[in-house]
Amino acid sequence: MSDATAAVRESARASDLPDAQRESVRDLILDLADTKRVLGMRYADWLLGAPELEAGIALASMAQDEWGHARLLYSLLKEFDADVDAIEHGRQPEQYRSMQALDRAPESWPELVALNTFVDGALSLQLEALTSSAYLPLRQRVQKILDEEQFHAAHGRAWFLRLVRGGDETRNGIAAATHRYIPLILSWFGPDSDSARVLHDLSIVDAVGNELRMRYLQRFASLFAEIGDANFVLDIEPDWSQYDEAARRSTDTAPDAETIAKIRGDKNRAFLMD
Amino acid sequence: MIYEVFTRKARGDALKHIGSVNAPDDALAGVYAYNTYDEEKWFDLWVVPRDRFVEVFNVDRGPAPGVTT
Repeated sequence: MSDATAAVRESARASDLPDAQRESVRDLILDLADTKRVLGMRYADWLLGAPELEAGIALASMAQDEWGHARLLYSLLKEFDADVDAIEHGRQPEQYRSMQALDRAPESWPELVALNTFVDGALSLQLEALTSSAYLPLRQRVQKILDEEQFHAAHGRAWFLRLVRGGDETRNGIAAATHRYIPLILSWFGPDSDSARVLHDLSIVDAVGNELRMRYLQRFASLFAEIGDANFVLDIEPDWSQYDEAARRSTDTAPDAETIAKIRGDKNRAFLMD
Repeated sequence: MIYEVFTRKARGDALKHIGSVNAPDDALAGVYAYNTYDEEKWFDLWVVPRDRFVEVFNVDRGPAPGVTT
């Protein structure tokens, strides 16, 4: 029997994945989960600092969504024989795989808006590349996440435009924040390495590396134009010399320890009872 | 700008006023309404700028000038 038309081999369980790729799929899920977990913290930190009550409510809702997505993604790691409890409560900052752009808390409302727009947007773009994944546990869950993300994107975009049009101060603020985060986000999509290409060949993801970066720049080109600087992204050349491909960040970097202590729940650990 | 928020619980229901949000434009008003009034599962959700309401008649004031003249 010819299986030329059925070249894509679907995997219903992690044990069905080719041995050489199982680790890469696990890494991808953990990178996404950690990024969503930390992004939720960044949103939550601004609940009491948002410029208007409605924005605070939106942040509460988005934080809740991100933590829900993280919880869902962490639970997928059980398939890989991971100790999910240890992953959620037992790791040091340098063991986190969250996006480098989230390593320190945003210091201003424009920085928070830039994270909302561009980091959340990068996560969604990566998840979209999994909507037809041959790894079924992922494929079956990404659409629900993406449905909720539509309102995160709308919030980010609306606030981005409001700041751009709000006068010199807010416009400069959002422009600076955009310049700060975009290089870190572009690196997050990773290099066109052999291991990345194999994930693409196996239809685990429908794009990697440069293709994801192109999709991303295309999606946000109109916003870059709004800050009068559509071409600054052309000068950004990701530097892979210190890049840890599994963690999708530079070696010797980590999210701030105080935030990770909150994520682990250190302060009230005694109340984590079985 | 104040936006009034309207919803329906089920297809065919009458549109019901459930509250308002403050927002500078339609896009943000929509996001704010979605996040603020999310305690129930709605069939649909609408926002309308308060200043787009056209008064027609009021018992105390009578017919509204903008409509009758």
